[in-house]
Amino acid sequence: MTDVTEHTAARPRAEFLHRFSLRDAGTLIGLVVILAVFGALVPGFFAERNLINILQQSSINACLALGMTLVIISGGIDLSVGPTAALSAVISASMLVAGVPFPLAIAAGFAIGLVCGLLNGVLVAYVGLQPFIVTLGTLSTYRALALIYTGGNPVLGLPAGFRAIFNGSLFGLPLAVIIVAVVALIAWIILKKTPFGEYLLAVGGNEEAAYIAGVPIARTKIAAYMISGLLAALAAQILIGRLGAAEPILGNLWELDAIAAAAIGGASLMGGKGSVVGTILGAVILGTMRNGLTLMNVQSFYQLLATGLIILAAMLIDRVTRGRG
Amino acid sequence: MSVPRLQFEGISKVFPAVRALSDVSFSVGAGEIHGLLGENGAGKSTLLRILSGVYRPTAGSVLIDGRPVTLNNPVAARAAGVAMIHQELQQVPHLSVAQNMFLGHPLTRGGIFVARREQERRAAEALAALDPTIDPAVPLGSLKVAQRQIVEIARALLDRARIVAMDEPTSSLTPSEFERLAEVIAGLARDDVAVVYVSHKLDEVFGICQRATIMRDGVVVGSVDLAQVSEKAVVSMMVGRELAQEQHRSHASSEVRLSVRGLASATKVRDVSFDLHRGEVLGIAGLVGSGRTELLRLLAGADRASSGRVEIDGKAIKLSSPRDAIAAGIGLVPEERKREGIVPLRSISSNMALASMGVFAPRGVIDHARLKRVAAEKMKRVNLRPFLLDRPIRLFSGGNQQKAIIGRWLAAGTRILLFDEPTRGIDVGAKAEIYHLIEELAAEGHSVIVVSSELPEVIRLADRVLVVRDGTVAAELDRADLSEQAIAAHAIPQSETQGRQGAGHRVGA
Repeated sequence: MTDVTEHTAARPRAEFLHRFSLRDAGTLIGLVVILAVFGALVPGFFAERNLINILQQSSINACLALGMTLVIISGGIDLSVGPTAALSAVISASMLVAGVPFPLAIAAGFAIGLVCGLLNGVLVAYVGLQPFIVTLGTLSTYRALALIYTGGNPVLGLPAGFRAIFNGSLFGLPLAVIIVAVVALIAWIILKKTPFGEYLLAVGGNEEAAYIAGVPIARTKIAAYMISGLLAALAAQILIGRLGAAEPILGNLWELDAIAAAAIGGASLMGGKGSVVGTILGAVILGTMRNGLTLMNVQSFYQLLATGLIILAAMLIDRVTRGRG
Repeated sequence: MSVPRLQFEGISKVFPAVRALSDVSFSVGAGEIHGLLGENGAGKSTLLRILSGVYRPTAGSVLIDGRPVTLNNPVAARAAGVAMIHQELQQVPHLSVAQNMFLGHPLTRGGIFVARREQERRAAEALAALDPTIDPAVPLGSLKVAQRQIVEIARALLDRARIVAMDEPTSSLTPSEFERLAEVIAGLARDDVAVVYVSHKLDEVFGICQRATIMRDGVVVGSVDLAQVSEKAVVSMMVGRELAQEQHRSHASSEVRLSVRGLASATKVRDVSFDLHRGEVLGIAGLVGSGRTELLRLLAGADRASSGRVEIDGKAIKLSSPRDAIAAGIGLVPEERKREGIVPLRSISSNMALASMGVFAPRGVIDHARLKRVAAEKMKRVNLRPFLLDRPIRLFSGGNQQKAIIGRWLAAGTRILLFDEPTRGIDVGAKAEIYHLIEELAAEGHSVIVVSSELPEVIRLADRVLVVRDGTVAAELDRADLSEQAIAAHAIPQSETQGRQGAGHRVGA
C-alpha cells in the first residue's frame, strides 16, 4: 500500500489493459464468436470487401449510438435521434438543391441537430421533465416539422459534389467509416480524459452527490443531448450523401438500434455506466448480424428475431456475470 | 431453563471468495432484548439477512422455539414469525402508512378489492400503543424518520412477530425519540418477543439490552451479560484491541473565518447568526427537524437562502449553488452518504476528484498522472483501507467512503468543512479515525462545523456548541459548559420540557 504512484506509472501495459475493461472484452468476444459463426457458414464472408461493407453498414448506427451512449450515461435517453436526423437532412438537402454552398448547408444541418438537442436538454435539465417523455414528445414534434417542411415529399437531386464528400474513401476505407472512427475517438477522449466525461458519469451515477460535489448538472445534461443531436445530424449528412436524396421519414426507428448498440456495449439505462469501445462493438455486432443473415438469404422476419435475441442474450450474459446489483 | 425463542446453531455463510460467517452460535430467549455488536464487516448484517430469509446459510441452522426452520425467502421468514426493521427503511414513501404496513399482504374484500378503511383501522390500532399521533392515512414519506421506524415496528406487531430484529434502528433518532423507541422495545419484550438489537451505539445497547453477542470477522467472540462487563471491555472485544481514549484539544484561533448573519430559508431556518473561527470545531446540536441539516445545506450552497449574509474572511459571498460554496472554500460531507456523497460505480480517485476537476484538467484534458498522485497523497492522509484507488467506492465500508469524501474536500483546497452526522453508520474503529481526522484538520487551520445527533460525539469534538431549535440558535455553549444535559435542555421545545427542565424556558424565542 505504499508505492501506488510508482506502480501505475511504471506499467503502461497494465494501464492499457485496465482501460480496456472486462466488459468490453466480453463484447469483443461476442463479436468474434458471431464473426466466426458467419465465417464458417457464409463463403466469402471474410473477404475484405464484405468486412468493409459491414463497417460501412454499421457506421450510421454507430454514429447515433455514440451520442446515445453519452446521454444514457448521464442517466437520460434520447428517443428523438431519428426525427432529428430527418429534420437536419431535409433542411440541408433543400439548401443544397437551392444552390447554397456545401459548407453552409452542412453547417445548417449540424445547427439543426444542436438546436434539437438543446431543446431536449433544456426540457430535461431546467424544466425537470423525464427524459423518456421529453424525447418521446420531440420525436413526434421533430418528425412532424420535417414532414410539414417538405410536404411529405423527398428532397431529390442533391449535387454530385456534395455526394462525393461522403462517398469518397481514404486508405481504402469509406470516408463514412473514417468519420465515425474519428467521432468515436473523440467520444472516447471525452469520456476518459475530460472533466465533462467525469461529470457525465457522476451525474448519471448519483445526481444528488454530483450536485453537492459542485458538478454543473444542467450544463452536463444539456451538453449530452446536444452532442446526441449533433451526431444525429452527422448521420443524416452521411446518409443523404449516400442516397442523393433526403426523405422526411428518414431515420425511422433509428433510436432503437442506437439504444441496442449502447446496451450491448455495456451502457446501463440506469445511468452512470457505459463505454465508447463497447458501443462501437455493439453497433458492429448488429451490423454483422444483418450482413451475415442477408448473405445467408435469411428472411427479414428471422433477421429481426435474431437481432432481438442477440440483445436479450447480451443482457442476460451481463446479468449472470455481474450477479446482483 | 426453557427452550430459547431463537437459536443460531453453527451458522456459516460462504460467498464466492469470502467467508462471511463461520460457525456462529448463540441464542435469544423469549422476552429478551439481545444486543448484536461488531464492527462493519463483522458479519452482523449477513446474519440478519439469514434470519430474515434473504440469504441461505452455507451450513448450520436457525431454530425457533427449539424447532429448526427453513428460511428460504423473506416470506417464509415472515411466516415463521420473524420481523426485520431495517437500517435503511424499506418502505414506499408515496403509499400511505397503512398501505405500507400491509405491503405484500393487503387486507381484501372478496379477495379482489383492497379493504382500505379496514387496513387503516387495524393500522391505527397497532400504532395506538406506540405513537397515537401517526395518522395511518397520510403518505409515509410525510413522516419523520423516527416515526417511520415506529411504523415498521407497528407492522411487526400486526404480523404478530415472535422475533424482531432491528438493524441500527436509532442511527438518526434524537435522544427523546430514542427514549420512546426504548419504551416500545421494552413493550415488545414484555409481550415475550425476542428482540435482536444491532447498534453501533454501546450506550444504547447497555441501556436497553440484557445480554449481547459480540462478533468480529464473521465469528462470535463471545456472548456477555451486560450487567457484568464494562463498555471498554466490549469495545476491545469488538475491535480486537484497546482503543485509546482521546482527550479534546482546541485549535481555535480568534481569527473569524466564516461569519453568518441573519441567515434564513423559506422553510426550516430562520435568523441564524454566528461566527466560525480559524481552526475551530463548532458543534451544532438539536433535534432532528430543528433545521440543523437545512442550515448546513444553505452554507454549502445546496439550498438557497431567502435572506441573510454570509462572509468569509470579511468578504461577503454568494451561495446560490454548491459550486459557489466550493469556490469560496466550503465543502459539505453530507449525512446520507449513499444518496448525497458517493458516486457508487466510480473509483475512489474519481470520487475524490469530482469537486476539483478544474485543478486536474487545467487545459481541458485530465492530467491522470497528477490525479493519481494527489489521490495517493490525500488517501494516505485520510488512511483509506484497503488502499485501492481504482476500486469502485461502493465496495468500501462506510467509514472508508467517508474518508474518501473528506479527501475530496482536501483535494479541492476547502478551508471550511461542514460535517452532517460524520459517523452515521460507521463502526467504532473508523469512528475514532474520523474524529482524529477532524481534529487534525482543525489543527491545520481548517474550520469545521459538525452537526450530530450523538451528543457524546458533539461533546468529544466541539470547541463550542450551537444548540438549534425551531430553525434558530437557541443557545451557545462554551466547552466548559458542555454536557448532554445542558444541550438537551436547550434543544427540546418548551412544551416537552414543562415541569421537567427549568433551563429550557429562559432561552430562545
